[in-house]
Amino acid sequence: MLKVSEELCIGCGICADNCPFSAISIEDGLAVVGASCNLCGACVESCDVGALTLDVRGRKAQEDLAEWSGVSVFCEYRRGELASVSLELLGIGRKLADERGVKLSAILLGFETHETASLLIGHGADVVILVDHEALEKFRDDCYSAVFTYLVQQYRPEIVLAGATAIGRSFIPAVATALNTGLTADCTKLEIRDQDGVLLQTRPAFGGNIMATIVCESSRPQMATVRSKVMKALDFNAERKGEVIAVKPPADLLESRVRVFDSVVGEATKVNIQDADILVSGGRGLETAKGFELIRKLADTLGAKVSASRAVVDAGWIPYPHQVGQTGKTVAPKLYIACGISGAVQHVAGMQSAETIVAINRDEHATIFNVADYGLVGDLYEIIPKLIAKIEERRSL
Amino acid sequence: MKIIVCIKQVPDAKDVRLDPITNTLARDGVQSIMNPYDEYALEEAVRLKEKFGGEVIVISMGPPQAEEMLRQAISCGADNAVLISDRSFAGADTWATAYTLEHAIKKIGNFDLILCGKQAIDGDTAQVGPGLATRLGIPYMTCVQKIREATEKGLVAERMMDDGFDVVAVDYPVLLSVVKDINEPRVPSIKGKMRAKKAEIVTFNAQTIEADPACIGLPGSPTKVVNVFPPSARGERSLLTGTLDEQIDQLVEKLLPYL
Repeated sequence: MLKVSEELCIGCGICADNCPFSAISIEDGLAVVGASCNLCGACVESCDVGALTLDVRGRKAQEDLAEWSGVSVFCEYRRGELASVSLELLGIGRKLADERGVKLSAILLGFETHETASLLIGHGADVVILVDHEALEKFRDDCYSAVFTYLVQQYRPEIVLAGATAIGRSFIPAVATALNTGLTADCTKLEIRDQDGVLLQTRPAFGGNIMATIVCESSRPQMATVRSKVMKALDFNAERKGEVIAVKPPADLLESRVRVFDSVVGEATKVNIQDADILVSGGRGLETAKGFELIRKLADTLGAKVSASRAVVDAGWIPYPHQVGQTGKTVAPKLYIACGISGAVQHVAGMQSAETIVAINRDEHATIFNVADYGLVGDLYEIIPKLIAKIEERRSL
Repeated sequence: MKIIVCIKQVPDAKDVRLDPITNTLARDGVQSIMNPYDEYALEEAVRLKEKFGGEVIVISMGPPQAEEMLRQAISCGADNAVLISDRSFAGADTWATAYTLEHAIKKIGNFDLILCGKQAIDGDTAQVGPGLATRLGIPYMTCVQKIREATEKGLVAERMMDDGFDVVAVDYPVLLSVVKDINEPRVPSIKGKMRAKKAEIVTFNAQTIEADPACIGLPGSPTKVVNVFPPSARGERSLLTGTLDEQIDQLVEKLLPYL
């Protein structure tokens, strides 16, 4: 329960302003907590007079907490290829494992994975736990979660990381549920807390306009997913040594209640905005779907690909594979040009690693300018054609 | 066919933004809406009911004001609605939410199909659907973009993957989470609105669903928020100055390495 001290509260309303859920109102000079309070504690920190306290019993700690040790990374293998996010996770996993003084293991599921295990060792894994089986060739949630849950129970890592890919986002929550532990989605930062070695998991929250650091203190493993292009892979080092453990899980774990008939490669792979060096991105400021013609024109001039904010994807102006942000793709191009994008945190979370960011927006207070290296305030329908002309003129010199 | 649709009331994301001066959330005029992805789940449920007959029950865990959204769901074709509401549910993470929904669904009884939106736009975790199915011991499929074929016994659906889509067959009972490509939700009819006005919304509290107090709300949640803070800026705000043409000249100079 969130408690308000009637003696200390001065009714200033700062807590109400800081509440992400609009759950606090000021009545008769006192803060009153409403039913939509989510106990997030944002108000407690904001209160200058210390009138708010959050009185919560913690979850009962799992008894064998101390027996869990090591960092494990789920490595995804599909259509004969390792998902690149797996190597990125080994990068951050290595760092976390070193800080904790424990081993880093890669858990690789797939079929005919050939030399993938040595690739994982070269990128930082001390151990590769490998299940190479025909039943894992096609992705089926129940098989993947049963096998992965089994491996986690066998090896008992304290931290489990997985890529927030379609596959990871689909079956990892089932693993966390089966293990009765917490899971934090789409983390943008992972650190070890000095005093007790707990994993600090930071992600955009509450609609993506605020960052939240989340911990899972009472149960193990501590599980997190991370989107691709958020963490950096270590360079491959052929000298690195590691152990490969091939595991044969019990046969019943490989049985599935679903049948995958067909697996169709679609539009999404062709678009692939994550590989682009330059992205020209359009948002609601375009005002109509036709605005993307202008975006495309600028992209063509720069040899760039076209991306977009969530608002315009939701509006149906451009298909989902183009979406940048927390619920779309995370990108890290050399140059990102945001046109008519206001810069909600959930968008910024997906593009702030770009080398150079240019923002064009009519509203000089738009938050996109907070992350932009170069900002132009004005009408994009006036600015972009001039910009195209100028680039062409400059090129012809 | 008995279909349960899980829906959530969320703040309308397009209204929520940071005040650039105070760096706090600007909440003026922020409306509560039905999570947009859940509208597609509801529409798909109503279409299946229209084809096979049966019942669509919408359920929502949330504060008492979520009742309004449940009425909206009835106006769009749901038959019955259950509000799962108790102060002790506050602060639930996805684990505790899945636990709570599981107990509410067990109270409702047998079902063929559970439909959810792929994620809620306030948390964006996409974890409750798979968690709920796992707790209920039923198969599930996430990010369904199309139900190709549904019969009395099961269905064949397309589930979105990063590289395209998979075509998957499964028997009931099953849980599906859906994406927005799956359909175009209808607007409520006048008749629907009338029905919604009169409908009785059933409320379940922690006791009704026989929840273990140690498994619900913040105390039951394995994850806990320890800090919230405004996102850090990348650097100083650097707006170009001068006339528009001068600004464009400066920009093109800066962009030369990329041309």
